Amino acid sequence: MLTESHNQEQPTRRAKIMVVDDDPDLRQALSLRLRANHFDTVNVCDGYSAIAMAQKEKPHLIILDLGLPAGDGYTVLKHLQEFPALAGIPVIVLTARDPEGNEKRTLESGAIAFFQKPADNEELLAVIRASLQTGWGWGGSAPS
Amino acid sequence: MEHEPARVLLIEDNPGDADLVRLRLVEGKSAVQVNCVPRLADALACLDVEMPTLVLLDLNLPDSRGAETFRRIMQKAPNVPVVILSGQDDEALAIKAVHMGVQDYLVKGDITSKQLERAVRYAIERQGLLRALEITRQQQIKFKDQFLSHVSHELRTPLTCIYQYVTLLLDGLAGPLAANQTDHLKAVLKSTNQLHAMIRDLLEATRAESGKLHIEPRCIDIRELLQQAVTMMRPTAAENHISLAAAFEQTIPLVYADPDRTLEVLINLIDNAIKFTPPEGSVVVKASLVETDPSAVYLSVNDSGRGLPPETLSQVFDRLYQDPNAVDGNRTGLGLGLYIAKEIVTLHGGRMWVASEPGCGSTFSFTLPFYSLAKLLLPVITDQGHLRENIVLVRVELAPLSKALRGSWKEVCQRSLDRLRRCIYVDKDLVLPPMETSGAGETFFVVASTDMKRVGIMMDRIREHLGALPKLKASGTLRVTAEAIPAPPAGDPRTLEQQVWGVADYVTEVIQQGLGSRQYFTEKENHTNAN
Repeated sequence: MLTESHNQEQPTRRAKIMVVDDDPDLRQALSLRLRANHFDTVNVCDGYSAIAMAQKEKPHLIILDLGLPAGDGYTVLKHLQEFPALAGIPVIVLTARDPEGNEKRTLESGAIAFFQKPADNEELLAVIRASLQTGWGWGGSAPS
Repeated sequence: MEHEPARVLLIEDNPGDADLVRLRLVEGKSAVQVNCVPRLADALACLDVEMPTLVLLDLNLPDSRGAETFRRIMQKAPNVPVVILSGQDDEALAIKAVHMGVQDYLVKGDITSKQLERAVRYAIERQGLLRALEITRQQQIKFKDQFLSHVSHELRTPLTCIYQYVTLLLDGLAGPLAANQTDHLKAVLKSTNQLHAMIRDLLEATRAESGKLHIEPRCIDIRELLQQAVTMMRPTAAENHISLAAAFEQTIPLVYADPDRTLEVLINLIDNAIKFTPPEGSVVVKASLVETDPSAVYLSVNDSGRGLPPETLSQVFDRLYQDPNAVDGNRTGLGLGLYIAKEIVTLHGGRMWVASEPGCGSTFSFTLPFYSLAKLLLPVITDQGHLRENIVLVRVELAPLSKALRGSWKEVCQRSLDRLRRCIYVDKDLVLPPMETSGAGETFFVVASTDMKRVGIMMDRIREHLGALPKLKASGTLRVTAEAIPAPPAGDPRTLEQQVWGVADYVTEVIQQGLGSRQYFTEKENHTNAN
């Protein structure tokens, strides 16, 4: 089960978030929480699929792990910047790695925020909502 | 070593002594090359060209005397073994030098060639061993750092999973829970959070130990930080039926400290105080000024808990210190919190200590330095004892386009600041530490040692570098302006220090106007009082 799209109750467009993490349990838990907060989710488990799925699904936001098989988080960030259609998608890095060194590097590679695992749910959701509301670095109109 | 002749640098100003030592050296069985110089300055110049195998050093030279001579040599050639040549009357000084790292000492007049040969050989051997030990130690530290970093990374992944699923259940996202199920899960969450804190502390302590803990001081209003810490900890205090309050004098000047790190220290101390205070007790956080110390703010966290026995007062800041009387309900973690807190305060140039009496509670106190613009400006705007001729204040204003997105806008500001720092010459320009802002617009100031004509180049560079930030382009506007800081009149009778204060006052006033009611700092008040 690589992708799941949930588009039920609300007639208005819901923002689509792509979760990239190689831990299936964590992916599922994150998706459950995001869907409970009225976001659609797409889950992928490696760097290669992340780029492919981003091109296909055009998510409004990406939550990205750094340690991934088939192209780590940095590779994904680099490739996202190379495609004009994807370069504007806000990326939030969520990783177990140390912020020292990684935080600065990910932000310089185009991510909008860095969270170390385990990240506080409310803080993560606040940043997700904020970046979608203001169309942070993302040309499209904000989904309400 | 056996095949190559030892290259000895002999530093001795008395020609007679120098010749004698040289003679004794070449008399020995081992091959030795001797280079003799009479002054410390000559020796330092030699060390610039080539490192000898050993230094033979007379401590009293025409251009340097006593331990200072050895210190300068050590500084220049930390890995070269040094043997002191001392007179009959300064053996005590030679022994002191041995404590400072000299390998051996010989008393002039008593030196035989055998003795000298032996001293030289042993000194070289010992220094080699020390060096090998040091390299091994460094490798072990590196391995430990890597190991802990790896372990903490590996522990975080399953911990995140536990946290995610427990909170999913607790938030009712997997269906309603019975009351006792909620209680059980809350206990799991509490332990998960404790585990998280321990992993964090473990890494922080390792960093502190290897000197990698770093701080980014800013100009901060400590009163706001105190309030923030108290607000954050109030729920924990309430849960434990403890009253928590902040108290401070209104006249506290701004301090120069890392806001995140300082908050971490305050929260750590408050959390500790709550842990060791029984229900219905109280915890008070205070900021005050002390007459005897005109350069620091005193911060303290006082509790009405059971206090500490006198014999433990000197140990509480030790790594891995655990309260021997802690009961199970007070699981104290790894015993690293206070150690880390003290390290953070020390990095700021502050002190931390504890006062306590059994049964009467404890007071943990620490100091943070005042923010002094003049101190920061002095090396930048002066040159060879004079105020620079032209000084310009550059103002870089960032304003968000839409309603502030706190986290990300803060990020944009931080990155702009990083870039701004790359647009200046560090030896003659200074990016002033910014105020902690609440989120909206941010203004950075640069004091530049240049004139209004040439400052345009810097302003263009700033516009180009900051303007190239995609996130800033998408979310905010950038404005760069400059104004000249008036030069003191010709024949200004004030001392250099007073002139720097003058510039600092001027800059403060300009910044103050932009900040409205918020105070940038009270430099004027400080140094007027100091006079």
